[in-house]
Amino acid sequence: MSEHTCGCSKNPYLPEVATVLEVITESPTIKSFRVRFDNEEAWERFTYRPGQVGQLSVFGVGESTFVINTPPSCREYIQFSVMRAGEVTSAIHKLHPGDQVGVRAPLGNSFPCEQWKGKNIVFVGGGIGMAPIRTIMLHVMEHASDYGKLSLLYGAKSPEDMAYKADLPAWLESDVLHTTLTIDREAPNWPHRVGMIPTVLKELAPSPDNSIAVLCGPPIMIKFTLAAFRELGFKDENIVTTLERRMKCGIGICGRCNLGGKYVCLDGPVFTQAQLNELPPEM
Amino acid sequence: MSVLAGKELRIVGFLCNWCSYGGADTAGTARAVQPTDLRIIRVPCSGRVNPLFVLKALMNGADGVLVSGCHPRDCHYSSGNFYARRRLELLKQFLPVIGIDPERFEYTWVSASEGQRWKDVVTNFTARIHALGPAPRWEDVPARYDMPVELLESLRPLGCGEHPALPELKQAIKDALAQGLEGVLGWKKGFDAIHAEPVFMTTPEEVDSLIWGPFNVQNLAVFLPQYKGRKIGVVVKGCDSKGVVELLSEGLISRDEVQIFGMGCNGTVNLSRILAKLPEGAAIESCACRGNKITVTAGGQTIEMTMAEVAQDKCRLCTKPNAVISDAFAGTPTTEPEAPQDGRLPGLRFLDSLSLEERMGFWKGQMERCIACHACRGACPMCVCRDHCVSDSRDPEWVTQEDTVQQKLFFQLIHAQHLAGRCTGCTECERACPMDIPVFALKQQFGRTIQKIFSYGAGLDVNATPPLLTYQVEETTIKERDLA
Amino acid sequence: MSSLLFATPAELTAWLAGLASGQRVLVPCQEGPSVVYRPRTAEQLSAAGVNALLRRSTSSPKQAVLPQCETLVAFKSVKDEQDPSKVTTTVENPCKAEPTVLFGCRPCDARGFVVLDRPYLHGPFKDPYYGARREATTIVTQACPSVFATCFCHWVGSHPADGEGSDILFTAVEGGFVLDILTEKGKALVEGAAFADGSDKAEAVAAAHKATAEALAPAPNLSEAAAKIAARFTDTAFWTRETVKCLSCGACTYLCPTCQCFTITDEGSQLNGRRLRSWDSCMTPLFTLETSGHNPRPDKSQRMRNRVSHKFSFYPERYDGFFSCVGCGRCVISCPVSLDIRHMVTAAMEGMEGKKPAEAPAAPAEKTAETPKAPADAPAAPKTPAKSKSKKR
Repeated sequence: MSEHTCGCSKNPYLPEVATVLEVITESPTIKSFRVRFDNEEAWERFTYRPGQVGQLSVFGVGESTFVINTPPSCREYIQFSVMRAGEVTSAIHKLHPGDQVGVRAPLGNSFPCEQWKGKNIVFVGGGIGMAPIRTIMLHVMEHASDYGKLSLLYGAKSPEDMAYKADLPAWLESDVLHTTLTIDREAPNWPHRVGMIPTVLKELAPSPDNSIAVLCGPPIMIKFTLAAFRELGFKDENIVTTLERRMKCGIGICGRCNLGGKYVCLDGPVFTQAQLNELPPEM
Repeated sequence: MSVLAGKELRIVGFLCNWCSYGGADTAGTARAVQPTDLRIIRVPCSGRVNPLFVLKALMNGADGVLVSGCHPRDCHYSSGNFYARRRLELLKQFLPVIGIDPERFEYTWVSASEGQRWKDVVTNFTARIHALGPAPRWEDVPARYDMPVELLESLRPLGCGEHPALPELKQAIKDALAQGLEGVLGWKKGFDAIHAEPVFMTTPEEVDSLIWGPFNVQNLAVFLPQYKGRKIGVVVKGCDSKGVVELLSEGLISRDEVQIFGMGCNGTVNLSRILAKLPEGAAIESCACRGNKITVTAGGQTIEMTMAEVAQDKCRLCTKPNAVISDAFAGTPTTEPEAPQDGRLPGLRFLDSLSLEERMGFWKGQMERCIACHACRGACPMCVCRDHCVSDSRDPEWVTQEDTVQQKLFFQLIHAQHLAGRCTGCTECERACPMDIPVFALKQQFGRTIQKIFSYGAGLDVNATPPLLTYQVEETTIKERDLA
Repeated sequence: MSSLLFATPAELTAWLAGLASGQRVLVPCQEGPSVVYRPRTAEQLSAAGVNALLRRSTSSPKQAVLPQCETLVAFKSVKDEQDPSKVTTTVENPCKAEPTVLFGCRPCDARGFVVLDRPYLHGPFKDPYYGARREATTIVTQACPSVFATCFCHWVGSHPADGEGSDILFTAVEGGFVLDILTEKGKALVEGAAFADGSDKAEAVAAAHKATAEALAPAPNLSEAAAKIAARFTDTAFWTRETVKCLSCGACTYLCPTCQCFTITDEGSQLNGRRLRSWDSCMTPLFTLETSGHNPRPDKSQRMRNRVSHKFSFYPERYDGFFSCVGCGRCVISCPVSLDIRHMVTAAMEGMEGKKPAEAPAAPAEKTAETPKAPADAPAAPKTPAKSKSKKR
C-alpha cells in the first residue's frame, strides 16, 4: 500500500498491484489468469477462504469480480477464470504474462466447509460455474479424510467449452473424488456422458443422507438442478450455491448487489438455498 | 504530440477517405508548403462525421475543427456529403449558444486531385484560427450565475378556470374504455392542490379523477412508447400532441394503438413561480382558479396571482393550444394566435444578449450545480432510447463520470444534438430539472436554426420528413463556404 | 454535552467569516432559482446578510462528505527502458480531507449523515474517504424555522429541532440565534467566539421548536413499516400500479441526503489514470445490468420497489430498525411527476400484515437482525402476499 494521508488504517479501495504469471486458455471464451502480488510482504500476509472473491482490474479499464479458484493452500499464485463478455473481461483476455493488474481480495464470505466435516459432498458445476466449485473442491480434496464421499458432476455445452482440461485427468483418476463429466449434445470422441446436468444428476441419484450439495452455474441450470436435488430428497439447508450480481465496491457500500437487505458481495456470494428462501425473490 | 507553444494551435481535421484525404496526399506528394497545425483523422465519408465529434473536440480544447469531404454530387457513397452538409451547417449555427465562435469550425469540399486547393484550404483555415487565437478554456472563463427573470407577454389571454367541456371529455374517455381501450393516460390531483400527477385511467371512477387546467404540466407523450403493442389512450394539450405526432412519424408508436383525446388549452403554470409567491415551504391549504386568477391559501395566507405572472414560458408564446392530432376533441378549440416574430423563450433571449465568452461563463455557472441526475432525459418524450442512451455507454465514451462542467454540459449537447429536428419544444427537460437549469435554450437554438434554414417545425405533420433525414442536391438556404 | 450561546445576526456572520480563514465553510447559496452549498470566503461571508445563509438547499448537503465524483485511486506507470512493452505501475491513495464547516443544513440533512455512517463507517469495511471527510466536517444545523408541505421527518423518528448528527444546533429567536453546542467538535468551533451566554433563552428556543413541530400534520405509525413493506415485495401489481407515472429519471436519488449508491469507473490509461467513484442511482436500469445481459431489475417498478424497500425495509432490517429515509421531502417536491414516497409507503402498508420471520438460520457474516423480514417461504414460485387487497383503489 502506498502512503496514506487520511489517517485511516486500511483503504479497501486500493488494489494490490499484481503481475500475471501465466495465462491458460481454457475454452474459446474462458481464460484462467494466475497472478501474484508484486509486494512480497503483502503476498505473505495474504490469506483467503475457499469461495471468497476478488476484484481484478485492468488499470484504465475497470474492475470486475471473480472468484479465486485456487485452493488457499496454493501459495505461488491465485487464479481467476474469466469468461470474455464485457469491457473489463475483454481487456483481461488481452493480458499476457508479465502484465500488471490490480487485485482487491479477499472479499465476501466463503463455503462453510468446516461444518461439512464428516459429510458426503456432491459438487455440481455448469460452464464457468465450475470456477467456484474448483476452489472448494480442491480444498476439500486436500483434506479428504475429514469428509465422506466426494463426487463431482461437471457439465459444459461441448468438449471445447469445458474448462480446466489440465485438471480433468487428475479428477477422473482421483481416489477421493468420483467425477462425472457431461456435455449437452453428442460430440465425436467424447467418452463421457451426454445430457443436461439435471438429467444426469437424477441418473446418478446421489443419496441425500448426510450429504451436502454444492452447485454453481448459469441461472437456468441452477433452477433445474435445484429442482433435481430437491427431488432426490436434499434439504434446502444442505444445498449450497454462490450468487452472481453486478458489483462495484465489493464491500457492501455501493448498493447495487443487494438481495433484500443482504449484499451479495459482503454477506455472500455463498448462500444455502434455505437462506435464499428467506430473501426476496429478485433474481 | 506537444504543441509548439505559441506557434501551433490545436486544429483537428476530419477528412473523407475518398476525396479530401487523397487531396491532402496529393498536396504532400507535390511538396506543397502548408501549416502543420492540423491533426488529421481519416473518416470513411464526411457523412460519418457525427456532429458530436466536432463538439467533443471543441469542448476539450481544440482551437479549430475542419471537416472536408467530396464535393457535392461526388460522394463515393452517392449522398453522404449531402446529409453531412445539412448537419454541419446546423452545427455551425448552433455553436454560438455555448459560447464557441462558429468561425472555429468549418466544413468544405476537396477532391483527391485538388492538391493545390487542399493547400489553400489548410493555409486559410489555419490562418483564420491563428487570427482568432487559442480558444478560451472553460477553466479560465469566469462563471456567472445571473439570469434575469423575464415574464414574456402572452400571445393570447391565458386562463385557468374550469373547462366547460371537461364532462364531455370524461364521457368520451369512459366510452372508449367501455369499447375496450386498456387505459387512458391523463392527470389527477397530486399531493396538494397545485400539483397534478399522471394517472393511467382504467375505470370510470378513475376517469372521474381526471383534471384539466393550469396544473396539468406533464407531457404524457413521454409514456407512450412503453405501451407499444397495447391499445391505450392519451389526453393531450396542444404541446403534448406535437410529441405524439413526432413519435408517430418516427414509427415509435402506431396510430391504431393510441387514441388521442384533446381539449383546448388555456395555459399551464410554472410551479416554481407559484411557490415563490407563497411563504417558503408552506403547505397548500386550498387553491381556487377563476378566469385568469389563481388564489392559493397556504401557511394561513391567501395569495392571489394571475396567469400572466405564473404561466410557463412556453404557454406565453404557444400557437398550438389545441391538439394538432386527435380522435376525440372535447369542446370548442381555443383560438390559435399567429406565430410570433420572435419565438425565443427567456433562456435563449438572455443568451443572445451575451458575448461569446459570457455565454461560456453562463453555462459554466449553470452546469456547476447540475447533479447529473438526467431527469431532463427522463422527462423528454423524444428521448426514446430510454435504457440505452449513448451517454451511458463506455464505448464510445462520450461522457465520463467526472462531475466537471464540460462533462455535464456535453451530456446536454448530446441531448440537444439528438433532438435536432425532433424537439417539439415542450420544455419538459427544463421543467423536470430539479436544479432549474435552463437547458431548453440549447434545444431552442437548434429549433430556430432548423426553422430558419429548413422552414420546419417538429411535431406538426405525421407524414413530414425531418430535415436531417433528407437533403436537396442544391441547398438554396445553405450558403456554400469556400475556404480555398 | 449541551450548552447554549446567543449570537446576533452580525455576530453569527462574523464568526463564520472568522472560520473561513482556516477552513472550508460551506453555506447555502442561491444559484439561479436553486439553493446549493458552496464554499464561501471570509469576505463573502461578512458581506452576506444572515438571511441569505438560512435557505433550505434544493439538493442535499451530502456532497460535503460524499462528493458527486472523487478519485479513489490514481495510478501511474513507467515504461521499462529496455522493453517498453513492460510497465511498472504504482497506485496512489489520494484520500485526503479538508477541514470543513457545513453551515445551515436542516436536522433532516444532518441526520442523513448518521444514516450514511452505518454502511460507510460501521460495516466490516470502513470507507476511508467518507470517514476522513466526515471526521473533518463540523455540522452546524439550523432548527427548522418553518416546515415545508413535503416535510415528513416526524414520520421517521425525528423532529424539526432534532440534534442527531449535528455538532451545533441553532435556533432563530427574537434578536438573533441561540446556538446549542452538542459535541466536542461543536465546542471547538465556538472557542474564542464572542457569543453571549444563551441559557436565559432556553424557553424561547423551546417555544420556537414547539411552534414548528406543531405545524406538521399528524404522522402515521410506521412501526410495522419494515415488515409490511417486505411483505408487499412480491405484489408485482402494486408496484406496477404505483410506478405507472414514474419516469425512472432518478432525480429523487440524486437529491436524497441518504442515497448511498455509487459506481466505480476508470478513466485514462494504465500509464496515467484514475479510478473514480461517482454517485449512481438504483433508478437506472444500468445499475444492476449484468454483463451477460441479465438484469434482476429490468423494470421501473422493480427499481422503485427496491428504492422504497431499501429505505423502509432492507435498511431497517440491517441496521437495528432505523429507516434510511430522513423525511426531507426533496424527492417529493422535485419529482417531475409528483410521485410521493409518503403515499407509496402508506399504500404499501395498507392491508398488509407484517409477518414475523420464519425460523431460519442466520446468514453468514450477518448480525442477527431482530426486525421482521420478508416472508417468501416458497422460493421457486414467487408467491402472492397473504392479502392482496387494494388491487383497485
